[in-house]
Order: sequence, then structure tokens, then C-alpha cells
Amino acid sequence: MSAPRVLRQRAEAQAETLPPLLARAEHLAGTVLLGDHGRRRAGLGDDFWQYRPAQAGDSRRMIDHRRSARGDVQYVREREWEIAQSVMLWVDQGASMRFASDKGYEIKADRARLIGLSVAILLVRAGERVGLTGTTLPPRRGNGQIHRLAEAWSRDAAADYAPPEHRAMIPHSRALFISDFLGDMQEVELALTKAADRGVKGVVLQVLDPSEESFPYRGRTIFESVGGSIRHETLKAGELRNRYLERLAERRDMLAALCRATGWQMGLHHTGESAQVALLWLWRALDGGTR
Amino acid sequence: MTVLGGIGFASPWLLVALLALPVLWLILRAVPPAPIRRLFPAVTLLLGLRDEESVSDRTPWWLLLIRMLAVAAVIVGLAGPVLNPQRNVDGKGPLLILLDAGWAGASGWTQRMDLLDAQLTEAGRAGRPVAVMRLTAPEPPVFQSADIWRSRVPGIVPQPWQPGPDQIAAALGDIAEVATGFDTHWLSDGLEYEGRDRVLSAVSDRGTLTVFMSSAAVLGLRPASYVDGAVQLTVLRAAAGEERTQAVVALGPDPSGTVRVLERAEARLEAGETEAQLSLSLPTELRARISRFELEGQRSAGAVALTDDGLSRREVALFAGRQDREGLELLSPLHYLTQVLVPSADFVDGALLDVLPANPDVVVLSDVATLAPAERDALTEWVENGGLLLRFSGPRMAASDIGRDEADPLLPVRLRSGGRTVGGAMSWGEAKTLAPFAEGSPFFGLDIPAEVTVSTQVVAQPDPDLADRVIAALSDGTPLVTRKPLGLGQVVLFHVTADAEWSSLPLSGLFVEMLDRLAVSSGAKRPDAAALEGTIWNPLRVMDGFGELEDAGNQAGVEGGALVSAVLGPDLRPGIYGNEKRRIARNVLAPDTVLAPVAWPASVSVVGLEVEREQPLGGWLLSLALLLLAADIVASLALSGRLGQLRGALSAVLAVFLLSQDASAQATSEAERFALEATHELALAHVLTGNRSVDDVARAGLLGLSQTLLYRTSVEPAGPIGIDLERDELAFFPMLYWPVTPDQPAPSEEAYARLNTYLRLGGMILFDTRDADVARFGAGSPNGRKLQQLAAPLDIPPLEPVPRDHVLTRAFYLLQDFPGRHAGPDVWVEAAPMDAEQIEGMPFRNLNDGVTPVVIGGNDWAAAWAVDGQGRSLLPVGRGLAGERQRELAHRFGVNLVMHVLTGNYKSDQVHVPALLDRLGQ
Repeated sequence: MSAPRVLRQRAEAQAETLPPLLARAEHLAGTVLLGDHGRRRAGLGDDFWQYRPAQAGDSRRMIDHRRSARGDVQYVREREWEIAQSVMLWVDQGASMRFASDKGYEIKADRARLIGLSVAILLVRAGERVGLTGTTLPPRRGNGQIHRLAEAWSRDAAADYAPPEHRAMIPHSRALFISDFLGDMQEVELALTKAADRGVKGVVLQVLDPSEESFPYRGRTIFESVGGSIRHETLKAGELRNRYLERLAERRDMLAALCRATGWQMGLHHTGESAQVALLWLWRALDGGTR
Repeated sequence: MTVLGGIGFASPWLLVALLALPVLWLILRAVPPAPIRRLFPAVTLLLGLRDEESVSDRTPWWLLLIRMLAVAAVIVGLAGPVLNPQRNVDGKGPLLILLDAGWAGASGWTQRMDLLDAQLTEAGRAGRPVAVMRLTAPEPPVFQSADIWRSRVPGIVPQPWQPGPDQIAAALGDIAEVATGFDTHWLSDGLEYEGRDRVLSAVSDRGTLTVFMSSAAVLGLRPASYVDGAVQLTVLRAAAGEERTQAVVALGPDPSGTVRVLERAEARLEAGETEAQLSLSLPTELRARISRFELEGQRSAGAVALTDDGLSRREVALFAGRQDREGLELLSPLHYLTQVLVPSADFVDGALLDVLPANPDVVVLSDVATLAPAERDALTEWVENGGLLLRFSGPRMAASDIGRDEADPLLPVRLRSGGRTVGGAMSWGEAKTLAPFAEGSPFFGLDIPAEVTVSTQVVAQPDPDLADRVIAALSDGTPLVTRKPLGLGQVVLFHVTADAEWSSLPLSGLFVEMLDRLAVSSGAKRPDAAALEGTIWNPLRVMDGFGELEDAGNQAGVEGGALVSAVLGPDLRPGIYGNEKRRIARNVLAPDTVLAPVAWPASVSVVGLEVEREQPLGGWLLSLALLLLAADIVASLALSGRLGQLRGALSAVLAVFLLSQDASAQATSEAERFALEATHELALAHVLTGNRSVDDVARAGLLGLSQTLLYRTSVEPAGPIGIDLERDELAFFPMLYWPVTPDQPAPSEEAYARLNTYLRLGGMILFDTRDADVARFGAGSPNGRKLQQLAAPLDIPPLEPVPRDHVLTRAFYLLQDFPGRHAGPDVWVEAAPMDAEQIEGMPFRNLNDGVTPVVIGGNDWAAAWAVDGQGRSLLPVGRGLAGERQRELAHRFGVNLVMHVLTGNYKSDQVHVPALLDRLGQ
């Protein structure tokens, strides 16, 4: 098979994953806008910037019907923003995220990307600039950035536990880290402190599988990481449960303490729950900071 | 075989292996289950955690128990356990198995045969020679291998009699001839009979005797009798016991002829009583239909009481020549007849012509001389159909000219005029007595009382056949009663009156007996032996030991006296006996029979019949072990979390099963889907030829035609459908387009049958050879030859080229030629009938009704109609505007064709002629 054909095939395979993720993310983001719609009752005059004619790509619910009803042209009301914020995202692409304990649960990585992309869509609609931490995708605005984000997140990383990317963070911007935070905590600490040094505030969302929370295992078991790099054998898995839960709580406390110290917010999400819950929480957490 | 706790073991030492089970338990318990590999991202948190105990989780006790049970079941199963093991009965040497094999044993016959089989098996195991002997049908005992006898067990059936003197004597003789000593097993029926003690002593002398006897008492049913307007039944039992009820059912044909239970009653046998009376009051009509009574649940000949004519009453119509003499009852000519017949017959009243359609058994004419022609014809016909006409003479008959010169069909003989008087006051001579009845006469055997005299009679003419017709004569030889057959029936003439004026015969008991013999009155009481003396009765249906009636075959007739009184045996089987006129039932039990239980001397050991069969348990235990092991597999997988994989495999297996079962259902749903698709809208159809390009063009062509129809007419077809002739139902489609290719396969026989049905029911096929550009219509081209082959088995009428006045030319558009992609002139349709004439002034003929079943041409219409998905023509037609015109005409032809198919000869209707004439410009 010739090289261009292979490339084309791979590109198509890649592109296949994008539309569903995008569609789901759009769908998810739509539910949040619905919630925001009613908030326009108070303080409207302060934020109003201009009416502009509706363009292709504008969702119908963005149309201001009060203004549009006066003429034949449909208008979108735009608000004024003092400064455009940059929001830097980091979603863990490590192998540890590619795990679901049961067919009924979503894979952690998928859930994390879905939430990340939904937030990105909401931010772009709100006029913010969105990008990835690191140098691969600097913050930009516009719908094209959503596609670039989705594309960036369709690539899995090979390493078992990926460290947070903390390079090239724009000072005084905002950041969102989504991961299971089961890897090396020192890397996390380094990333958060570095962010704090640059005045970056943000949100940490820990995504866990329900089995990682409950440890429902018994009997003689060999536990393996998803990448296969780490393994642990036990004769009685049931005996380990309490000590495992203690360690998990310990790690979460450590993360929470880190967040408190750096002024970040911390959230917890399980793949057994609805993604909307996490998105709503994230939106409020970010919204509070940007306004 | 060792017996432990009621269960025998073939190899008991294997059970020692059970001792190893506790050791196995300990070993299995010590071995830990295999580790499970699990993906777990949070393993980083586990690193460094140590197990507090170094012992792994043990196999759960219930899993161990399952495994132990499986092993134990295998061990015990291999040890060959047998439930109810047969203990060896001591005994060596020959064994005689003696069966009563009478009707009394028929009820529990299977039980007896099981016992016999068990004894034969046992004897075979011990290697003893065996002989089986039935006392009801004795044969010399032959001692041979038990296996030979076992093969004959199914052929041993009970006889419908008890061992009689003849059989006992034969059996004793046979036993005496056996040279060696032998042991005897006697399977008794439980009834005492004459000669049993002699057999007992004969076999006791030769060896040990064991008697096998059922504890249930033998039940029997005495023959039914008819007393005081009710059927009387008596249920007997051999031994008085506890109170019990026994149902008696009456069986007989219902009006449709099916034998069913007509009546059911319970007889109560009181405690300590051996008899129970049952009185059934039944309507005459129902009673006459009953063919047998039986004890419900008792399957033996003794529990059946067959009925004969005794329960049915004959219908008699009486007519007298002079009846209107008021107050002279005793002088009525019918008085004595009525007295004789009242107990046993029903009278039918009315005029003769009214009575005959009711089909009485007997018509009695007393001194009736002349009959109206209609009456005579009706009576003759009735007699010829089997009726019995009984005539008495009298003054009128004597005075009339009836049967004087030529034989009257309704008189047995010709009569002399006047008759004669003997022994009267004015005559010479004495009154005559009767001569003894000759052999061959129905009255043969009856005693003639001396006081019966005849003083006056009518006299028969001495014709050649007179002697054959006389069945009773006077002492001087003059006929007294004459008879002749007429058709299926007979005519009997008493040459005297039915009252006492001419003779004293009606006053005597002989008169009653004579009428009885003539079957005028059939006895409500059973005929006794004396009354049947000298008659021969043929067996019609005989009973077997189980009480079932079977055809008598070639059995010899039985003498009347013996039929009633003789002992039953091979020569006299119970059943239905009869002659032409009467039927008599011989039952197993006589009206006075008492069932006596058998009493064995104390020295004889009596054993019950119950057999406990050997039941090998090994197979069951091994199956149980397999099941337990299967359960162990599932449980082990569930424990190690691998049940999910198994579930996949199981569902795959299940799916295969379901699929195979679903295949037929799927086929039907496929057919249904096709039917729905074809019928929810009108659809044009084309026959799939197997040639891809031809099929595609045909489909596109019909699509184009459908669109044309949609735009221009009220016909709005759905998309065209390709038809597989072998598979698809054709009835949904008004027309089929059949492009002919030289290489398409001919349809199968079934497909042709369906095609013919389709054509006969009004379907139409458009055959298109698609070669009009190169060939004229005929066999000249490959397509034409193929068309001939294809159409040969079809039911196609004579054809002709489309006449100018065919309805196709004006069904929607007015057309004169039918071009397709080619413009060949030849299009053939069903020929007009020969007598189709053009009426003066009419532009076209009145042609055949209906739709032409085929249209045949070669213009490749589909190619002209064909459009692609966007509605553009697929293939070029002709050149330039002329080509487009040709395509337009092709479309018009298609529209006309569909209109013709859908509306038949509607446009042929003369009603439209003026409008059409107008359009045609004439």
C-alpha cells in the first residue's frame, strides 16, 4: 500500500473518532447554555456590547428574538468583555486513563476528553481563548480551535502515567487539569506550584473509575497497570481494601492541600456518574474566576 | 451380588475407595486457587502493601463438597448398585409354570405377565428348564430354555372361559406323561372350578408347589334381564369383602353409529355381600341400542354382559279386515295376537300407508283380502326391504278371488276358492290336528299339544312349489302355515283365523311359540334350551378373554340347546350368535352363576402377584457425577471471575440453536415482507433473468414506465420489483415484464405451475425478445428459440398479431404501432374468437373479454422506457426528434398496456364508441 493511501486511511480512522466526540461535547455544552439563559434578567445593560447579524455556525438559541422580531434579519446579542481570558487545558492522555472496570462504565480517558472539550466549547462561545498547556496548541479563539483540541486529544500517550504539562503557561491565565492523579505526585506538585508562581489560577478535576473508589476485589490476584509496567501480587485482595482506601484518601488530601496552597479548586468525578454534573461544576468553578 | 441396605452391588469392593475421600478433601483444600490477573490503574497505591497472612484464600467448602460428591457418585456408580435386587429362590431342576388363564385373570393380566416374565428370567438365570401350561388351553408341557418361553410371553392371552372338564382331563393327562419330577408355580386366577383339586394333587406329587394369586377379588356381571320395565343387572364378586362401589356402563352405538357410553350407574356392594343388584330404567329407544354392559375398569370377559334381542322390542302393526264391532273385544280378530305380543312388542297404530314409512318389524294382516294398489305396492316394497308380513285368513279371504288364478305376490301360495270346513256340525269327519313339524321348518322341535284342532281353513292350490313353502301342516297333509321369501323379507300365511273361530290354535301355548319362532314376538325372557332345541346358531361375534368382541371367522354353528346350557370352551365361545332373524348373546356368566373364591390347602404357599423390578442405579449415579462436575466448572469459573468468557461461549451456542430454530420463522417473515412490499402499492414487476445488464435495464425501464404512469395517469405505481420465479409469489402483480435472453435457465415445474395459475387468474406476461432490430418475430433468432422453449409449458391461448381494433390500441392513447427501442411491427396477443364480427357502422369488433394473458414482441421496450435515478433516459432511441417521438410512442404503449391490464376490456365497451369516433375524426 502506498504511503499516501495509508496516511489517508489513518486520517479517516482518526477523523471518525472526532465527530462523535464533538457532537457529544456540543450536546453536553448545550445543556449548560440552557441553564445560563435565564441569568440575563439581571444586570443586562452592563454587559451589552452589540447586536450583530447571525452568521452560519451560530446556534439558534443564540439568536436574540426580541431584536430579530423587529426586522427580517436575525441578530445575535454579544456581550462586552473587558479582557479576553486565556484558558489552558491539560487532559491526561496516559495509559492509566484508558481503563473501565465494567462495560457499563465509560473509559476514564473518554470521559475526561468529553468534559474537557465541552468546557472548551463553552469557553469559545463565551469568547475566551482556549488552548493546551505546553507548546503544541497555544490559546486561540474560534470554532476551529475546538477541532484542533479534539484532534490533539485523539492521540493516546504510551506512558503509563503521564505527568502534567506545565510548560509555556501564560501568566495570569486560567488552567484546567483533568486526570486521575494516580501517578507521581511530585510532578503534580511541581506543575501546580509553577502555575501558582506565574499567577495562573485554575481547577483540578480528578476522574476515577468506581472500582478504584471501592476496590471490590477478593482472592489471589495480580494487579497490573494498564501499560503493564507495574504489577503487584497479593494472596488475599480482600485484606488490602482498607489500606488501599486509606492511601487513596491520603492522596486526595495531599492534592487538596496542594490546591489550597496554590489557590486552585479541586473537583472529583466518577465515570459512573453523569458527565453533566462534572461539567456544571467545572463551568461554575471557571465562570466564577473569569467574571 | 452383595446386598447392603436393600441395594445390591455388583462389585462391592470398589466402595473401599470411598475411604480415600477425606484424604482428597485435605489435598484439595491445601491447593490454592490460581491467581486472577486484573488491570488496575491504581496499582501505584498498592505498591508496598504486604499481605498480613501468607496463606491464600482457600477453596470454599461448598465447592469442595460438590467435588467430593462427584467423586463419591463415580465410585458408588462404578460399584454397580441395583435397587430391589432379586434374591435367588432355592430350587433346581425343571419348573412348570401353570396358568389358569381364564377370564377371571384377564383384569390383572399385565401383572401376571410381568410375574411370569420375572419368573422366567429367574429360571433362566438359574439355568432351569421351564414349561408353561395354560389350564384353559392345555398343551403337553415341553421343558425348554426360559429364553424361548420369554419370547413367547406376549402371545399368552387369557381365554374367555374357566378350565372345563375337558381341559382338566387333558391337562392331567399331559402332566402324567412328564417323566421327571418338577417344581410348580401356579398363577391362579382366584376362582374355584371343577377339577382344580385333581390338578393340585397331580402337581403336588411331583415337587414343591407355589401358588401366586392376586389379593383382589374377581368381579363379574350377570347377563342383563328386562323385568318390570327396567333392565336388571347383577354385579358379583368372588369374595365378600369391604363395602365398595363398582360402576356399570352401558355401551352402544349413538345415532351416528359410534359406540359410546349410553348410561352409567354405580352398583354398591355392601360389606359382606357378594352380589349387588342394579336396576336401570331406560327409554325404549335407548335400551334397544345398548349392545353391552360392562364393569368399568374391569377388563375381562366375565365383566361384560352382551345383550341380544332380549332388550329390544319389536314394532308390530296390526290390521284386521273388520274392526268396528263395538263391544266385542273378545271376538276381535286381533285379541289373541295382542295378548301374545303385548309383553314383548310395541304396537304401531295408524293407516297402513302411514305406518309403513315408520318401518315396523312386522305387519300383521288378519283376514284382509284385497288391498288398494297403492297399499299393495307399498307393502310389497316394504317386504322386499326385509319386512315380515304375517297374514291370517278368514271368511273374507276365503270369499275373495285373491290368489285364485295366479300367484299373488303378497300370498305364499295360490288359494282354492271357498276353503274347507272339517269337523263342523254339518260336515263329515273330525276336526284335524297338527302333524309334527318337519325338519327344516322354523317350528321344528316344538311340542304340539293334543287339544289344538283346526275345523276350518283356506286351502292351497297344489302348485309345484307348494311343498317347499309349507312350514306347518295338518295331520292329513294340508298346509296350515305357508311361507315364501320375497326380496329380503318374507310372507307368512296362517291358513286359519287369528281368533278362535276356525281353530283352537290361538288358544294354545303353541301359538305363542310359533310366533316366537317366526320372530314376531321376540322373547323378553331368555329362550330356554328346550325352546331352541333343534336350531342351529352361527357365531357372529365372539369375545376374547379381555371382553373384546372379535369376528367369529369360520367357527362352526352351535346347536340351540347347547348354546344356552353347555359349558363354555373352545367349541362354544361367548359372543353373539344368530340366525337370519334373531340374535342370542351367550355370556360368560349365566343368570345363576355364583363366583366362588379358590381355597388352597394350608400346605401350599400362596404368594401375591406384586413384582419389584430390579433397578440398576449405576447409570443414574454416573450421570449425577457428570452434572456435579459441570456445576463445579461453572462454580470455579464464577469464583475466578472468568464466567464472563463462558457466558460469551454459552450465548454463542445458544444463538446457534436459536438460529437453527428460527430459520423457518425467518423464511415466513421474509415471504411476508415481500408480500407487504408488493402489495402496499401497485408495483410493476419484471422476471429476473440472471443476466445482470438485462435485469438492470428491465428495472430501469419499469421505473421509467412507473414514472410516466405517475405523471400522466391516475395509476401511481411504487418502484418496480424483480421477481425470482422459483421463490416469489406472483399473485400480487398485475403484469410481469419478461425479457428473454438466450442463456436464462428455464423455470422449474413448480414455477411453471405457479405461472399457469397466474395466467389463468388474470395475470399478464409481456415477453420481450429484444431483437426486433435484427430478426422478425419467430424462431429465427436465439432469443426467439429461447422464447419458444420458455413458453412451451405455459397455458397460452392461440395468438395473432395485434389487430387494428384491439383494445391495446385505445386503452389510453390511440396507437397503431407499438415501438420500443426498436420499431418492429410484430406484437402478438391472444387471438380474437372466431365469431367476432364487426357490426355494421362500428369501427371495431366486440372482442374477447378479459386481458390477453401474454403480449409477445421484440421491441426492447424496457430499453426505451429506461431512466436513471434522476429521471434521464438511459439509452438512446433512434436519432434526433424522430427518436424522441419513438420513445414517446414506446411510453404510450406502456401506458396503454398497463391500462389494459388494469381495466380489462373497459375501453372495448361500445359505450365509448361515439367519443372515440369523434377523436378518430370519422
